[in-house]
Amino acid sequence: MERRKFLNMGLVAVAAAVVPATSLHAVNFRETKPKAWEAEKSAEAIKAMFGDGKLNPTDKIKMIAPKLAENGGSIPITLKSDLDIVTLAFFQDANPRSATVVFTVPEGQKVNYSFRIKMRQTAYVTVVAQTKDGKLHTLNKEIDVSIGGCGG
Amino acid sequence: MAKKMKIKAKEKDGVTKVKAMFTSLMADKEEAEKKNIGVEYIAYVVGKVNGKTVYEATTSGFMAENPLMKFSFTGAKKGDKLEFTVTDNHGKTETGSKKIK
Repeated sequence: MERRKFLNMGLVAVAAAVVPATSLHAVNFRETKPKAWEAEKSAEAIKAMFGDGKLNPTDKIKMIAPKLAENGGSIPITLKSDLDIVTLAFFQDANPRSATVVFTVPEGQKVNYSFRIKMRQTAYVTVVAQTKDGKLHTLNKEIDVSIGGCGG
Repeated sequence: MAKKMKIKAKEKDGVTKVKAMFTSLMADKEEAEKKNIGVEYIAYVVGKVNGKTVYEATTSGFMAENPLMKFSFTGAKKGDKLEFTVTDNHGKTETGSKKIK
């Protein structure tokens, strides 16, 4: 009986270990890279997220964002690119923590994402994209915020 | 957590355009303190068609309230079902689906 119990426990452990492997395609970056979400500055967050790789400035990613945002509580951002991007991350320096959103781009899909963010003050926003070949591409832009969002 | 989500999906020439709106206060630590409410934000969004992931985002409380997300993808037909699963910071999940028009 004891032995059977032990075997059962082993089975459960194996099943638990297999689950993350099967859902490998879905990456919740909050679990895999918790440090990146706590970082205050974009540079630290990027380092925590993508490691020490060199960032190449690119013009192949298009960011459509207002130069002057009237409402800091809702700033529309659109990102477009034809590159084979695997991971696309968005950072800003205006809030207590830098990481805002990280997209995992499904294979074969092109980036065309729109979303809205909050910014409490004028700051730079940075986009970092990792392409299939492992290279990091970056692009940034300053957004002027006239009324702070984030409840301020 | 989100009470409902609004999803619109339209297919044209092989490209499906999606607009999805999720209900959430998106209040991070500092904002929750100011407004005296609990911390509540969507942490993870995943969209699937026929079991295949077409959209995946890990988000933080610095997205605007009731996040509206627009995106497009290829490889789906009219009538396919688009399914969204949203996980909030407490680990609660919410699902919603819509047929692609």
